[in-house]
Amino acid sequence: MTADPVPAPDRTTPRAALSCDGITKAFQGVRAVNGATFAVPEGLVTALIGPNGAGKTTVVNILSGSMTCDGGTERVGDAEVTNWPSHRIARLGLMRTFQLSRELGGLTVLENLLVAAPGQAGESLLNVFLRPSLVRRQERENVERALDVLDTYGLFHLRDNRASDLSGGQKKLLEISRAVMASPRILLLDEPMAGVNPALIERIGGHILDLKATGVTVLMIEHNLNVVERICDHVIVLAEGRTLATGRLGDLRENAEVVQAYLGEVIDASTHG
Amino acid sequence: MSNVWYYVFTLVFFLFDYFILAMGLNIQYGETGILNFAFIGFVAIGSYVTGALALPSSVGTGQHYIFGLGLPFPVNLLLGGVAASGFAVVVALITLRRLRTDYLAMVLISLSLVLYDVTNNFIPLFNGADGLYNVPEPFAGVLELTTNSFIPFFAAVTGAIALLLWLVMSRITRSPQGRTFRAIRDDDVVAAALGKDVFRTQLKSMLIGSFYAGIGGGLIIEFAGSFNPTAWLPGETFVVFAVIIVGGVGNNVGMLVGSLVVETLLIHLPAFLPSIPNHPGLIEYFDTVVVGVLLMAMLWFRPQGIVPERLRKASSLGGSDHALVARGSDAAAAARPAGVAAAGPKGER
Ligand SMILES: Nc1ncnc2c1ncn2[C@@H]1O[C@H](COP(=O)(O)OP(=O)(O)O)[C@@H](O)[C@H]1O
Ligand SMILES: [Mg+2]
Repeated sequence: MTADPVPAPDRTTPRAALSCDGITKAFQGVRAVNGATFAVPEGLVTALIGPNGAGKTTVVNILSGSMTCDGGTERVGDAEVTNWPSHRIARLGLMRTFQLSRELGGLTVLENLLVAAPGQAGESLLNVFLRPSLVRRQERENVERALDVLDTYGLFHLRDNRASDLSGGQKKLLEISRAVMASPRILLLDEPMAGVNPALIERIGGHILDLKATGVTVLMIEHNLNVVERICDHVIVLAEGRTLATGRLGDLRENAEVVQAYLGEVIDASTHG
Repeated sequence: MSNVWYYVFTLVFFLFDYFILAMGLNIQYGETGILNFAFIGFVAIGSYVTGALALPSSVGTGQHYIFGLGLPFPVNLLLGGVAASGFAVVVALITLRRLRTDYLAMVLISLSLVLYDVTNNFIPLFNGADGLYNVPEPFAGVLELTTNSFIPFFAAVTGAIALLLWLVMSRITRSPQGRTFRAIRDDDVVAAALGKDVFRTQLKSMLIGSFYAGIGGGLIIEFAGSFNPTAWLPGETFVVFAVIIVGGVGNNVGMLVGSLVVETLLIHLPAFLPSIPNHPGLIEYFDTVVVGVLLMAMLWFRPQGIVPERLRKASSLGGSDHALVARGSDAAAAARPAGVAAAGPKGER
């Protein structure tokens, strides 16, 4: 494997941090995902694009374990994890965000992050009662780190607010910072920039590149091709539940099939915001 | 001792007992979001097991029941709690893994009815419709209490147990485990995506809450000396729900307040009022109506309850003053590249 940030597609390809092969999923007979097959290269930012209803969200739901698939296989690194429950996939270091923000509404912003802290001794009642000092010390460390993450994401001043009281854009930032708090190796972002203003798009893009710089593998669903162009190294095009093409955006633009059938539509969608 | 004190200490007993029950239901529903509509069934299990363990062998007593080991208080009480927890594990293994929220609630309400019918009709278990009676008074041989002195004494014992259970419960709800309970309550899909084993966590919550139910039930049979199916009609579950909703779901102190308002003032106090001439029992019938009206009024005007759930602020979570002062969004924003810093957290949309 190489650390080459822009690998030539036919030469040294980085190892796949996450891959799937022939994933299928039907809802009441409707095939939402129909054989999706792709690999997400380690350490890069990969875009998952495709028209509305292509099955992108369903794929992310399946890869993160929030949903089971009907067929196909999923691997995280070399380990096969097909249809593992969500929490076990999460514990391998794969975190995901949701297209429609799903904050833990009754908790504060800070607590939303604290929930995500991995390996908490205080989640065992034995420790809570028998090793209170260990629990307290770890909690203090987690609070410190959560405050750092909130600071980075510009949510520090909202730390004590009820998460359900945040605005739409703030909730988007909370989704990402909560996933980051879990120190993920792989991050799946479902339209992290949908419905937010250009300045915030800029900001979230910066955060994603910062994460990449620390070695996190990112797979993001994104409609805005300008954003894809600027921050994504690799693109996967999904259409009607199938992988239509993979590669660099520039190469895909020359792929007549992709352009005719799908990119046009994606570009339309992105201009509508 | 005058009748007045007899009444007062009976009220005090039920105040503390329902405080315990409410804490049990609150951790299941208020903290973890499990709509346990079979809650009173777990109370009954605690009560019967506590009573049957204290009673002597059933031979020659004129009653039919299992156990009959003559165990001393509080050993029998603890085992009553354990029995309720054990049953919760069985129920959870069967239902929780597959079912969510409303379906789970329906299955649990059916379970409550089945438990009730079986206990009411299957005499060898806990003496059927007659229930258990003549349950030995706790500490009877040791303290030689009279009927009159037993009531204030046992109200005090129940108060002490409630205090202990409150300290334990506060510790649990303040811990990271408690936070995970609330995360699952708010969104179980998100909690799972963050690495939480939802089933295991719900199982823990069921187990703890049912232990409290069992202890609360065991104290009732120890206090009254008897327990039968009229005491735990499936609808009684909703009285406990009324206690936690009126008191304030998600707040342990609210449970005591809810118990005071609903259980003590509305359910038990009216029974001690002089009855209306020619209409004996009328006042008691109004209990449920008053509780129902209060519940609707609360849900309409103050759904968070009398003592709402507290937000847990950074300073209470171990965020030192130093940690809070050292950071500031303005300073951090200034340090970031211009294009990125331009988007203040309030700048979107
Ligand atoms: N939970 C569901 N139940 C039924 N149909 C669904 C469900 N989720 C997605 N679908 C359907 O599956 C298809 C793909 O949806 P989705 O994965 O959300 O697409 P995308 O994210 O690419 O816009 C759509 O036709 C959608 O209506
Ligand atoms: Mg989608």
